[in-house]
Amino acid sequence: MIKSATASSSSAPAAPLTATIDDRAVTIRPGETILSAAARVGVEIPTLCHSPGLAPEGGCRICMVEIEGQRTQAACHTPITNGMRIRTESPHLTSLRREILHLTISANPRGALRPRVDGTAMERLLARYGVESSDFGHHASSRPVDASHPSMRFDRDRCITCRACLHACEEVQGQFVYGIEGRGGASHLIFGATDRFVESGCVSCGACVDRCPTGAITDRDRIDRRGAQPPVETTDSVCGYCGVGCRIRSDSDGSVILSIAGVSDAAVNHGHLCVKGRYNHAHHHAADRLTTPLLRDAAGVLRPASWDEAIRYTATRLLELRNRHGADALGTMTSSRSTNEAAYLLQKLFRSIVGTNNTDCCARICHSSTAIALGLVTGTGAATASYDDLDVANLIVVAGANPTEAHPVVGARIKQAALRGAALVVIDPRDIELAAFAGVHLRLWPGTNVPLFHAIAKIMVEEKLYDAAYVAERCEGFEEFVRYLAQHSLEEYERITHVPVEKIRAAARLIASRGPGLFVSGLGLSEQTQGVAGVMGYCNLGLLTGSLGKRGAGMLPLRGQNNVQGNADMGSQPYALTGYATLSDEAARERCRLEWGSAPPREAGKTIPEMYDAAIAGSLKALWIQGEDVAQSDPNHEHVMKALRALDLLIVQELFMTETASVAHVVFPAAASLEQEGTFTNGERRVQHVRPSVPPPSGARPDWEVIRDVAVAMGAAWRYETPATVMDEIARVAPGLFGGISYGRLDGDGVQWPCPTSDHPGTHTVHAQGFVRGKALFTTVDFVPPQDATDTEHPLILITGRVLEHYNVGTMTRRGPSVELVGHDYLEIHPEDATRLGITEGSTVAVRSRFGEAKAPARITRRVMPGTLFLTFHFPETGTNSVVGPYTDPKSKCPDYKVVAVRVAPVR
Amino acid sequence: MNPSVRAYRATHDHEHALTPALEALHHFGQSRRDEAVRDPAALRELAADVHLPVAAVRGALSSYSEVGHDPSAIRYCAGTSCSLCGGDAIAEAFRRDGAARPVYCLGYCDRAPAAMLPNGEVVADLTPRQCTAARRGEVPAASPLMSIRSIARESIVTRRLVGPPSKLFPSYAGLKAALAMTPEAVTEAVITANLRGRGGAAFPTGRKWLLAAKAKGSPKYIVANGDEGDPGSFIDRVLMESDPHGILEGMAIAGHAVGATRGILFIRDEYPLAIDAMKKAIVFATAHGLLGPNALGPGRDFHVEVVRGLGSYVCGEETALLNAIEAGRGEVRPRPPFPVEEGLFGKPTVVVNVETLVNVPWIIERGAEAFRKLGTPESPGTKAICLNRGFANPGIVEVEFGLTLRELIERPECGGGGANGGSLEAVVLGGPMGSIVTPDLWETPVCFSAMGAKRINLGHAGLVAIPAPANWAAILRHLLDFMRDESCGKCVPCRMGTTRGHELVHAGLTVESTATLRRILDLMGEASLCAFGRETTGPVRTVLDRFGPQVIAGLERSAGRKEEAR
Repeated sequence: MIKSATASSSSAPAAPLTATIDDRAVTIRPGETILSAAARVGVEIPTLCHSPGLAPEGGCRICMVEIEGQRTQAACHTPITNGMRIRTESPHLTSLRREILHLTISANPRGALRPRVDGTAMERLLARYGVESSDFGHHASSRPVDASHPSMRFDRDRCITCRACLHACEEVQGQFVYGIEGRGGASHLIFGATDRFVESGCVSCGACVDRCPTGAITDRDRIDRRGAQPPVETTDSVCGYCGVGCRIRSDSDGSVILSIAGVSDAAVNHGHLCVKGRYNHAHHHAADRLTTPLLRDAAGVLRPASWDEAIRYTATRLLELRNRHGADALGTMTSSRSTNEAAYLLQKLFRSIVGTNNTDCCARICHSSTAIALGLVTGTGAATASYDDLDVANLIVVAGANPTEAHPVVGARIKQAALRGAALVVIDPRDIELAAFAGVHLRLWPGTNVPLFHAIAKIMVEEKLYDAAYVAERCEGFEEFVRYLAQHSLEEYERITHVPVEKIRAAARLIASRGPGLFVSGLGLSEQTQGVAGVMGYCNLGLLTGSLGKRGAGMLPLRGQNNVQGNADMGSQPYALTGYATLSDEAARERCRLEWGSAPPREAGKTIPEMYDAAIAGSLKALWIQGEDVAQSDPNHEHVMKALRALDLLIVQELFMTETASVAHVVFPAAASLEQEGTFTNGERRVQHVRPSVPPPSGARPDWEVIRDVAVAMGAAWRYETPATVMDEIARVAPGLFGGISYGRLDGDGVQWPCPTSDHPGTHTVHAQGFVRGKALFTTVDFVPPQDATDTEHPLILITGRVLEHYNVGTMTRRGPSVELVGHDYLEIHPEDATRLGITEGSTVAVRSRFGEAKAPARITRRVMPGTLFLTFHFPETGTNSVVGPYTDPKSKCPDYKVVAVRVAPVR
Repeated sequence: MNPSVRAYRATHDHEHALTPALEALHHFGQSRRDEAVRDPAALRELAADVHLPVAAVRGALSSYSEVGHDPSAIRYCAGTSCSLCGGDAIAEAFRRDGAARPVYCLGYCDRAPAAMLPNGEVVADLTPRQCTAARRGEVPAASPLMSIRSIARESIVTRRLVGPPSKLFPSYAGLKAALAMTPEAVTEAVITANLRGRGGAAFPTGRKWLLAAKAKGSPKYIVANGDEGDPGSFIDRVLMESDPHGILEGMAIAGHAVGATRGILFIRDEYPLAIDAMKKAIVFATAHGLLGPNALGPGRDFHVEVVRGLGSYVCGEETALLNAIEAGRGEVRPRPPFPVEEGLFGKPTVVVNVETLVNVPWIIERGAEAFRKLGTPESPGTKAICLNRGFANPGIVEVEFGLTLRELIERPECGGGGANGGSLEAVVLGGPMGSIVTPDLWETPVCFSAMGAKRINLGHAGLVAIPAPANWAAILRHLLDFMRDESCGKCVPCRMGTTRGHELVHAGLTVESTATLRRILDLMGEASLCAFGRETTGPVRTVLDRFGPQVIAGLERSAGRKEEAR
């Protein structure tokens, strides 16, 4: 953080400023405290209330040090100044700290805090200073533990009111859950408005747990399980939930995950995690994990089979169907949940052994629009910026994304950016949490991203509020863009978007005055029938502010799945090869031929929606779905099920018996994210090393091994011993992006692509030296209303989306403590609509579209606008995706999950 | 408050993020009783209204004493003067008679014991027999008239308090003179005058101004500290009630010097008359263009408003006071950053005591040299000394620095010795963070350096007489009660030290437990975050050092006696 210049520091000193700490000379950094200077040179001063990087509290007083010529001072909030001579240890300080410890624990019942050399920070200090119990007496009575929250517990008897938790909550998560009630000796920690932790507004990120020095706030999984299972192994890996890609450190007893914490120096998350990544790991050990391959028998029943049998059967059937119907009658959907290596091998199997480009992935139904749009505008279909740009950005625009729920660690970082003074503009129909932190919130009508972005651009152009030099030097198509905007009026845009012109103008001016900025987006832009156009329109704002290719600025789409970026990178797109090479790229084809033995077909394959259509039409006979419950996650549920049932061969790799698996012919039990080795690529193009914390349950196998074995059974000479050897091949096949990436380089924070050579550092900011396509392109697309239009039968607009506690279709989180926090889907409805329709809080509501019906309890809230609804899709019984229609973006084929015309009625 | 909480408010309420939110808490806390101040739904609503997290608002409310009480309760003064002058009996009489609760010092130490009626009127010089009638409103309110005198060659602080009322007409000559000078010249004059803060910390006022003037940030604030909490002091109350324009004039001059556009007067809730008088004066001065738009010149506004405290002694400390204005807990902030750089709402802020402010117009009008001719070279100027009822001549006397304590205590124009000719065992100087001064030290001059050398804190210069024979055990209990009740809870030594120390004293001190109490005092004195924890140990130590055996005997006698409900 940049502090305002102090009154005294106008002239720069010639010599470096120095001080001594325990007779050691230290060069001083401006504004540094004694505590952090000491830590920097390896002198450890004891502290309880202070955490590195957080504001000093100055309450515990354990860090008192002696300074020549001054009284003793607390090291945590006393700046180190030139010539200071500091002692951190002395007989007097030892005695002072011992006295402080005696007084500190006198607030707790006798025995609640005891010395232990391998214990908490507090217990270690009591051991070091030899304090068994307080000479000053103890709190008389014990108080009950608050275990109201499923993942965390608060033991008041161990709390020393040091407020480390409070600082973590405010300065890491930005949640402001904690407070201090009472005065003097009666002051104590509180959470939220009540005395029950679960009601506190806590989002279960665990930042406080990691910083609590006494064990007063603890993870329940850790405490509950560790007692029984003492031997602990610690493994660093990457979270398997969203595309943020947090680095995690898991503790296990060798077979069971006990607890998860963040890796404190990780570039992506600085030790921070969310409720999903930290607490929802129980699915790894769920009783209903699949542990044996299943084959559908003649009677149509799924029966257990041996791995040999299942692999032989699969290979034989794939070959048979290819020989009978041709290669294009087969297809695959590789998994964005699995590793790069697994995705690479599966698309390779279909492209080289089967001989089809029918390979797609779930990026189709989330960020395909984003990737295409960014590719058209810049030449690269990925984020131009990185997460740590959030920490230095002057301006952050968040459009069609709800990061505090869907990408919580990034969401928290955006909140911190706003708190440190970055301008925040939120563009979202819903009053999402970030809107409260925003300078301007534009609540546009669902499906009107394109005209809203045009309106903002029009104001910036007309008021000459854009970066003219950047536009002239680095962009093309600007004149046409200006001409296009001139043909439309702001009043027309206001009418379409329902956002008053003056509000749009305020946003435009804020964006212009604070830019360059970081343009964050999510599925609210991408999953629309104008998904590609929406993202292109958003890119125009990035170009007008001169943001792309700069530090602290650029386009930052938030990728959904842990490895959705990597999955597309690996070539799981019917029209692009590994590393986004086109099918007509002769050099790329030659590299494939060298590595694969044959080049892929030249004709583009089918996208996911096209594969469903082909299956129903009878031209697609076999489909291999890796780790995805498309029956629940894809739109137009009836249509999907019809397609799956029409197949002659459906192969599914899965953790659980999902609805999709239940109609498969072959089910391979898969390894979960903490049970296998490989790499995930996060939304900022960072390839990170995934390591197994525990072995898969007996009988389950990592996806990549199964694919390799099927390929061998099909006659291929695949000899991959480890995922590392797969990555080496990926580097050779797509050297432009991955040439320099190998497992040897993936310790710590991994590498951000493009990384063409082994000595290339990786790429933090893409397009810094010029756009990949030469010049960036201003684009214009006319507004086309969403296809699923409202009418008298279906007068309301439904938006579907997620809540913090659950992940997508809930396969993982419904098997963890999150289900105790949120046990069902819900429908958000505005009070006006609820009153008009006779819907009461919590009552079950039927949502009917032209395509299907869903049911969920109502939550009456002004988070949604009148006339709009919001429904989550985490629980299969709700049937959310039954109501979502077949409409897709014409270019990306990405479905429109965000604008569904419906009617609702109470269920009596 | 934590900078993060302040940032939360700034992001959630762009329009009003730099205005006080305490008034909303005030209204909430005083319109609800007991558990109703903890009602979750109401707290959530309040939090949304003031754009703060609910836990922060809940915590803030709970850190103040004037919250959640029966509005019909009598507030009897439990300050040092009243408790030495029969306050215990008054308290008992009121409690027997209906709702009543203690409050630390109503500022009527010269007419102790005193109590405040629900309508804000103060009744003083009470006897237990008057209490029932007082509650019914049948005892006349204490007169604002009191004995105010000056023996300085030039009266500064009291110049508009003595003499005919016409002198109260605000000429604002000092402000007019200041506005004819550059801000730098005004600051220079205050620096040259060597005016030091009169609230207790004695920081050079002009230096503060200089730092704030140089600090980056806008707007800048002048905060007048009217949170006179020291039992034994009442000069600030008298100034606010009777010379409000002197204070406003000082604030405006400070605003000019610092480049501030906003002024806030923070006044404790226990001073309702002062609050009224200051509000009226602001309206008057604004109507005359002396405050408000363009008050400091074209385009240079200076808006002043009053913020009421909610009951907390620690809020007299400048960072705690700023937290209170921001609707945070009344707790000190670690320093740095100092308020001159990151003060109210994180903006450069000068916090000045109201008595200090009254000196400013005089210095500008008469010049720094004239000021330096008064007092001593090292402590120039004058000081208003408050004398409690234990003296023969209670009231306020303005003296030049350099007079000895003995002169203050004994000269007929000053204290005139003990009331009714009685002898004094000691005096309490400067309140609970000041010093208990026994006669052997009375030759010490009232002067920052001489007193510092003898470890005597002048504080806000209230003098409370301790007549012989003194009940040192009761005085010790009183000191520990105050410490426990007013510790803010931010740091361990003070939070737990006052708690455990209070227990020890109320359990009856023994030789052994006295040693334990001394360990606690040593720790508090050395390791506490703010001056409250450090300095309140001084008077306690003096009692133990000088009267230890007596105290132990006294406390043993009263051991087991039930602690007074507070």
